[in-house]
Amino acid sequence: MTTYRLQVNGKPHAVNTDPDTPLLYVLRDDLALNGAKFGCGLGQCGSCTVIMDGKPVMSCLVPVSAVGARAVRTVEGLGSSDKPGVLQQAFIDEQAAQCGYCIAGMIMQATALLEKTPAPTDAQIRAHMSPNLCRCGTHMRILRAVRRAADRLAAGGKR
Amino acid sequence: MSADTGRRRFLAAGGALTLSFAMPAWSAPGELPKSLDKTPWLDAWIRIEADERITVFTGKAELGQGIKTALLQVVADELRIAPSRLTLVTADTARTPDEGMTAGSNSMKDSGAALRHAAGQVRMRLGELAAARLGVPAASLALKDGAFIAANGSRASFGQLVTGQELHLRATPQPAPPAPGPKTAIGHSLPRVDIPAKVAGGPAYVQDLRLPNMVHARVVRPPSQAATLTGLDAAAVMRLPGVLKVVRDGRFLAVIAEGEYRAVKAAAALARAARWDTPAALPVYPDVKALVMAQPAEPTTILARGARVQEGTHFKATYTRPFQLHASIGPSCAVAQLVEKRYTVWTHSQGVFPLRGALAELLAVKEEAIRCIHVEGSGCYGHNGADDVAADAALLARAFPGRPVRVQWMREDEHGWEPFGAAMVAQVAATLGPDGRIADWQYDVFTPPHNTRPGKAGNLLPATHLAKPFTPPVPTPSPQPEGSGDRNAIPYYRLPNARVTHHFQPKAVLRTSAMRGLGAYCNVFAIESFMDELARAARVDPVAFRLRHLEDPRAIDVVKLAAAKFGWDGYKRPSRRGRGFAFARYKNLASYCALAVEVEVARESGLVRVTRVSSAVDCGEIVNPDGVRNQIEGGIVQSASWTLLEQVRFDAARVLTVDWASYPILRFGQMPEQIDVHLIDRPGQPFLGTGEAAQGPAAAAVANAVFDACGLRMRDLPLDRARVRKA
Amino acid sequence: MNHTRRKRHTRWWLLLAAIVVLTGIAFAIMWRPALAPLTTAPSFDNARIERGANLAHLGMCASCHTADLSRPFAGGKPMETPFGTVHSTNITPDRDTGIGAWSPEAFTRAMREGVARDGHLLYPAFPYNHYVRMTQDDIDDLYAYFMTRPAIAAPARDNDMTFPFGFRPLVGFWNVLYLDDTPWRPDPQQSAEWNRGAYLADAVAHCAACHTPRTKLGGPDLKRQLDGGEAEDWYAPALNRNSPSPLPWTREQLQAYLRTGMAEDHAVAGGPMQDVVMHLAQADEADVAALAAWTHSHLSQAPLRATPAQRDGPLPAPALDDPDLPRMRLGYALYTNSCARCHDVGRAPSSGTALPLQKAIALYDPDPRSLIHIVDSGILPPDGEAGRWMPGFKAILSDEQAGALAAYLRKYGAGEPAWPQLDQQVSKARAP
Repeated sequence: MTTYRLQVNGKPHAVNTDPDTPLLYVLRDDLALNGAKFGCGLGQCGSCTVIMDGKPVMSCLVPVSAVGARAVRTVEGLGSSDKPGVLQQAFIDEQAAQCGYCIAGMIMQATALLEKTPAPTDAQIRAHMSPNLCRCGTHMRILRAVRRAADRLAAGGKR
Repeated sequence: MSADTGRRRFLAAGGALTLSFAMPAWSAPGELPKSLDKTPWLDAWIRIEADERITVFTGKAELGQGIKTALLQVVADELRIAPSRLTLVTADTARTPDEGMTAGSNSMKDSGAALRHAAGQVRMRLGELAAARLGVPAASLALKDGAFIAANGSRASFGQLVTGQELHLRATPQPAPPAPGPKTAIGHSLPRVDIPAKVAGGPAYVQDLRLPNMVHARVVRPPSQAATLTGLDAAAVMRLPGVLKVVRDGRFLAVIAEGEYRAVKAAAALARAARWDTPAALPVYPDVKALVMAQPAEPTTILARGARVQEGTHFKATYTRPFQLHASIGPSCAVAQLVEKRYTVWTHSQGVFPLRGALAELLAVKEEAIRCIHVEGSGCYGHNGADDVAADAALLARAFPGRPVRVQWMREDEHGWEPFGAAMVAQVAATLGPDGRIADWQYDVFTPPHNTRPGKAGNLLPATHLAKPFTPPVPTPSPQPEGSGDRNAIPYYRLPNARVTHHFQPKAVLRTSAMRGLGAYCNVFAIESFMDELARAARVDPVAFRLRHLEDPRAIDVVKLAAAKFGWDGYKRPSRRGRGFAFARYKNLASYCALAVEVEVARESGLVRVTRVSSAVDCGEIVNPDGVRNQIEGGIVQSASWTLLEQVRFDAARVLTVDWASYPILRFGQMPEQIDVHLIDRPGQPFLGTGEAAQGPAAAAVANAVFDACGLRMRDLPLDRARVRKA
Repeated sequence: MNHTRRKRHTRWWLLLAAIVVLTGIAFAIMWRPALAPLTTAPSFDNARIERGANLAHLGMCASCHTADLSRPFAGGKPMETPFGTVHSTNITPDRDTGIGAWSPEAFTRAMREGVARDGHLLYPAFPYNHYVRMTQDDIDDLYAYFMTRPAIAAPARDNDMTFPFGFRPLVGFWNVLYLDDTPWRPDPQQSAEWNRGAYLADAVAHCAACHTPRTKLGGPDLKRQLDGGEAEDWYAPALNRNSPSPLPWTREQLQAYLRTGMAEDHAVAGGPMQDVVMHLAQADEADVAALAAWTHSHLSQAPLRATPAQRDGPLPAPALDDPDLPRMRLGYALYTNSCARCHDVGRAPSSGTALPLQKAIALYDPDPRSLIHIVDSGILPPDGEAGRWMPGFKAILSDEQAGALAAYLRKYGAGEPAWPQLDQQVSKARAP
């Protein structure tokens, strides 16, 4: 076991764990953050998506020892159920969830897109979101939620 | 207000409700709704505290279908109170009524009806109490925000009225008259109560449970159901960091550790330390049809109407559906703890009461010693690994008593071991009379079981791996009208001469159980594809052909609405595109659903893309319109994925589809441009479940659209890229 | 007239004549006439169309001409070349934007000479310098196939060429150097199957277009046939005695690889080669066997050598006296904590055929680009189709980490000398 210092949602954390522990387990088990989910552990479904250094990554594939000083952001860092961030609010407004298990990953994947491409086309949104799976078939609402958030941000909404 | 007027209003209201009793889905007059019948005490369903807290209890579980919200709406409406004033407790063997399984799209029909009935009677009782307390006639009281208000302004709140056992009453069959004033909750799209936490990372799933002193476990499954363990050298595994215990009971292998990832690594090491003999025990057939038709079957005639008709043109076709996966996005998970001979199991099982019974048998303890609490999992779409992992957890809690043991299935566990959707063959034959109507119809459906849910311990996967294994009970099919493999095998059309036979295959090549829609997915696919083939043979528009054979006005309404919204009449086929239509009434007694679909087919790449969908749904009185839309949209997308992509693959030794790479599902890149769902509200009609209504129609509409686009009539699911290329 | 002045006159005249002649030659090189458009729709028999389908798979036409799976052969795929970005054209029989108006002669001319119907020269990103050696029968079969595809309206996308290569007629000079129209001839010393493979490899599947290095002018370096080349920034390894494969290829492995993209415990097709095998999987099995036979005859020229691939087991920790120890340690840690989960003995059931990395051919390539791209983008099955899945690590590994991992794998996985300028290669490969 080694101690790793991580920056998660703007706060420093020290976790004591094995070097090969994927970031997903560190977030969930050591930091008690529920957003990133175990869906496959193989990088095939995106339920574990977080943002690292501004880019969306599958946290099940990131060994904690490789994170270093790079800033990690999870859905908890975007807002709370009382004060949701723009994307979170858009998902609520569109009721873009059925079982909801994939949603935190979707929101982080979308956040990375909107931060880099504030005015994405529908085709860009679809292409960008394709690493993330939804088994319940909520895709159309998810796309609408991302579109809604993009439009709100373009109109000057706060992140 | 005179008693006469009151009685007249009462009777009129009762009369309106009595009309709905004529529908087979509601309870008969003089009987309590089904779930209330089993648990008749009002305070088993609704409890009111002195501090005004109102708790609603349901035996149903939130599966992501929005039932929590919908049930709150039902009660809120009856009590004329804001839903936010209510707390809902779902399926818990220690706290809620036993409502069996949350399945079959019956939650609104059963729990919704029970809660509506109970809440209505609670309101009546509270009204009587308020009248007595305030010294005014009950009929003169207004009801607002959880308080009764007399004309002179004096009020009595719910909390003031319930000081003891006032609600410990048996429900009576006569339903309460409707609450005064306009409906406040039913019919509105109340935002789902569970979504805010889910978008913000709040704890929401059994996977999020963190109990004090919890340990982590992983199971190591055999390579196949027939594999035997020939050797195990666990010494090195026990020495791995964090490992607390290695459990072996026959072929049931698991490791318990401190630290979740240490459990994962230890399980991988345990898998390497095990030696298995994996026989070539699975039969290999050239295709699904050969596989299914080779299994022994017990035929039951479920419809025999009229006589055989020879005059006319004869048609026949065979349709097939492979084994398919629920493939829940979050692999199944459970936590179990054994403390002082009492088990607590946190599970996302669809039936905590039946599960408790099965666990009691498995562990050889009394049911009272086990408490099963439902906590949400990811969407299950039927009988997935939820019960099996609960059994894993219970067995490991027994092997490691005291601390909560969390078992998380890996992706390969879920894909490889969940009970599959059944492989089926449907043979249809019909005679078209000279008048362009179906004169004769014959339908045979061949199918393994669609229900191997616990109940019995033998239906729990780990129980079959123990040194003293439990044997799965011989499955029996659920009878009509609900049916199992024969669900929706009887067409909803007017067929004067028809024979439908259900060929039930008790032994399956691979374990199968309930998957969203059960037999309806394949049966509606077959029937609606065949209707299309007949329509074309009769040179009649597919929609008109269906209308020709429909009598139920509600069915006719959804068919016409879907066609109109799609722009069916006057559709001009763009290059490489085509349109398809399908209709079904789920179980012939639940929701009505009609779909019109446009697809684009690229033969060279084999890609079939759904471009747009227009659907129409009648689910009786709508509780939460947006919830219905969400379920139908989701059902359409999921069914499109099953239909275009999905099949379980296996070789002689084992199942091969063990992850998303080997079992792809539809991704964003293949989503349509548009799906619209049009609802027909029927206030006063019974609630009809919608969760499964779109599965069958979507499949047939897509297949029919493919034919329209490129002339390929595809009868074997899935319509995957390789098949489209080869065709 | 004075003798000198006559000489000067003569020189001027000669010069003028030379200019005229050269201009004439240049014109002849650069200009081609338009061919008349088709007036009547042609018809074809099914056997010809089927043969054409097979040839289209073997020639991998869709690899370049299908950018969007839902619009096969409609073109629009951008291809990076040293001379700029070229977009593939619409070869569906749409009259306005595709080849619907092309006669068989126009089609043949395009295939053999790289000239479009209206006379403009095509960039040799379209490998007509290989197709030139197709038999007329085969070209006619292909024509039948393409003319019977559904027509899709898709106008050609503008190319983005570096000056002066936007001036198409310059391609004429390239043709002079590299368009060899000597007909293909079988080798009487070889079997019928080998010869079929040789024909397909050269004239149809155009393997050498990627697997032979190119000269500065972008033509094939004929002195170094099959010595290794590149495609879309991936390195295509040598297929001859210089093959970097650490283990010898058997005929069966090649056959499996070409049909499925995988040779168990030996190789997995990644990047552009994945596309190739996807098409070969749909081609006639005997033809692919012939290709395998021909390829194997070249690959088996590679001398056997001792490599770490012959050993099983995890890759070792770096030696304590390694001159680059911190970097090697970083690479080793990344290997152990990221790669080994699937690529080592500890691999999970779902990733069953993840190659032990000492066997990965990319580590033995003289060029690190394929390894970098595999690590960055992974190897994913085509949309909606089943296959093996390696995820991409581009966002997970920083440039420093990727470089350290590549260096470690090169040394301790392959036992090969370090790739020169690896860090620059990593940055360049990862540039958007």
